[in-house]
Amino acid sequence: MLIGIWVDGLVQSCIYTTMAFGMVLVFSILGILNWAHGQFYMLGAMVLWSVVMLAGFPFGVGLLFSALLIGVLGMLVEKFIIDRVNVPSASGALYVTAVTIALQLFFVGGASMLWGRLEKGLGMVMPGILSLGGVNISHQKIAVIIFTLVVMAVMYFVLGHTRTGLAIRAAAQRPDAAMLYGVHVGRIKTLVMGIGCAMAALAGCFMAPIYPVSPFMGGIPMIMSLLAIVIGGIGSLTGAIVGGVILGLLNSVIAYYLSYFSEVVLFALVILILLIRPQGLFGVPVK
Amino acid sequence: MNPHIDWRNTFPKIVACILAAPALIVPLLTDNPATLSTMILSGIWAVVAMGFTLILWTGQFSLGQAAFMAIGGYTSGILSARLGWPFWPSFLTAGLVSGAVACAVGAVVLRVGGFYFSIITLALGEIVRIIAMQWQSVTRGTRGLVAYPPEAISLGFIKIDFEATPVPYYYFMIVLVAVTGLIYWRIGKSRLGGTFFSVAINPMLAEHQGIHLMKFRVMAFTVAGVFTGLAGSFYAHFLQAVTPYMLGIPESIQVMIMSIVGGVSSLVAGPIIGSVVLYNLSQFLQRAGSDLQTSGFVLEGIQPLVFGGAVVCILLFLPRGSGLIDLWTRFWKRVYKEVDFYELPEDLEEETNTH
Repeated sequence: MLIGIWVDGLVQSCIYTTMAFGMVLVFSILGILNWAHGQFYMLGAMVLWSVVMLAGFPFGVGLLFSALLIGVLGMLVEKFIIDRVNVPSASGALYVTAVTIALQLFFVGGASMLWGRLEKGLGMVMPGILSLGGVNISHQKIAVIIFTLVVMAVMYFVLGHTRTGLAIRAAAQRPDAAMLYGVHVGRIKTLVMGIGCAMAALAGCFMAPIYPVSPFMGGIPMIMSLLAIVIGGIGSLTGAIVGGVILGLLNSVIAYYLSYFSEVVLFALVILILLIRPQGLFGVPVK
Repeated sequence: MNPHIDWRNTFPKIVACILAAPALIVPLLTDNPATLSTMILSGIWAVVAMGFTLILWTGQFSLGQAAFMAIGGYTSGILSARLGWPFWPSFLTAGLVSGAVACAVGAVVLRVGGFYFSIITLALGEIVRIIAMQWQSVTRGTRGLVAYPPEAISLGFIKIDFEATPVPYYYFMIVLVAVTGLIYWRIGKSRLGGTFFSVAINPMLAEHQGIHLMKFRVMAFTVAGVFTGLAGSFYAHFLQAVTPYMLGIPESIQVMIMSIVGGVSSLVAGPIIGSVVLYNLSQFLQRAGSDLQTSGFVLEGIQPLVFGGAVVCILLFLPRGSGLIDLWTRFWKRVYKEVDFYELPEDLEEETNTH
């Protein structure tokens, strides 16, 4: 039984990790926290549901379509809203925060108008159970973990071994210098926002066959991935992954032992980590 | 005429006072409880949004203001319902307790600045809510506490009865907003406000000038905590209940949006404008939505959609995203045909913020 809890925790970790990774990527290039990230996750799952259940396409097509569509949506949001509001001053980050939180409401409202407020299910995509010496794990959950690993591997390859990845890393470190070397930083920003939102949509798609889908499902994963990147250190990709894994496991394992009280423990733990190590586990201290 | 009066400065203020004066006689014009309660609640949110702006002036971004409202509401709820205290002492104690919690939390948490502070205050809000939900023996858990309305006050010729109509609450709200606004306005105009601002704009320079950053951050957080706690107590007693679901993360975020849309350049007017405009907008949308629903035209989620869209548009189309209060400043600049001084500070700000 206990192993089942740990596997559930791992599945949650995968979702938080994928979301947190996208958020950190956006943060490192744009210098902002995208508070509507959870809503892109929700929209991803919703689009997938429509493509699979209403249009009748196979799951893989829905996955790709949803990631693509939400990626483009994220690019449009960056180009036409965030970039215009983000004036280079102390108040820029403030207005971006307000705008993305307003977008959160906007997307939730739009989704409940389009799809209704009720929870929907996608049905099993990969039926079957893997039995390992008395422990039963559904194929579905294994697939989520493998898919997440694949996405992470692809992201590491793109960031580490391609010209675009090099440009992204350069723009994250020194935007001015990158611009001097011919990197179009504005375009990189739009691209990164698209990638981040597509990753959120992918996380939503992974989750859709396991948990119910509704317009309000973005809130908790959003807060959790926020906590994950804060634990890991804002701006550190490794930190986001480690933070996501820690939070996902804590969330299900503590909840198994302490039920409702687990949230207090979770938040208290986050506060404790921040007070001992304000820059997060993998962050560099900033003054 | 006194030649020393600066009419360019004074005239807009007089116009503002004349525009604000009708707020005093609203209960004479209408006795519709729905209208009055909408205005009372927007006043309460204005007080809370002012606290958010004050904390923002020290450069910190608090996402847990609703938690202090909840602390205030629960304190006065427990004191009046459990211990049988009268309203007024429990109201004031609520402010003190909330301020004390803000001071204690701030002294620990304000060591980490920026985003981390936002996240910790967010977590704090959740912790307060969960404690309120789980500490059944004191807070009655999810069932919540009943917060009785204030006792009737007898002034000899007239008896102020809080239970019959919302009118006494309305004047109570006006007094609360006025007192809070006056204190915040004095803080903003004084040397203290300037110090807060310098802590926000350039902490390193401020520290080198001999300003103890922590002291001023904790000070602003505590002052905001006291008034937010008072507002929370008033909120609980006006709604006559306090439950864990009333004040959570959405409310904290709502306060933040109100303050930013109203304009953070002003400590009093901006939050008031923002909360009045946005709270009324959301109430109007809610009522319009339910009207549509009763006429058989179901549009789920129209309220958050329009509200979010409106906020995005306000921030997008107001010049440089500076909030509603900036329209007022710009209007008077246009009237006096002054040069737009905004160019200069923006450049300076840019310079100080490029690392």
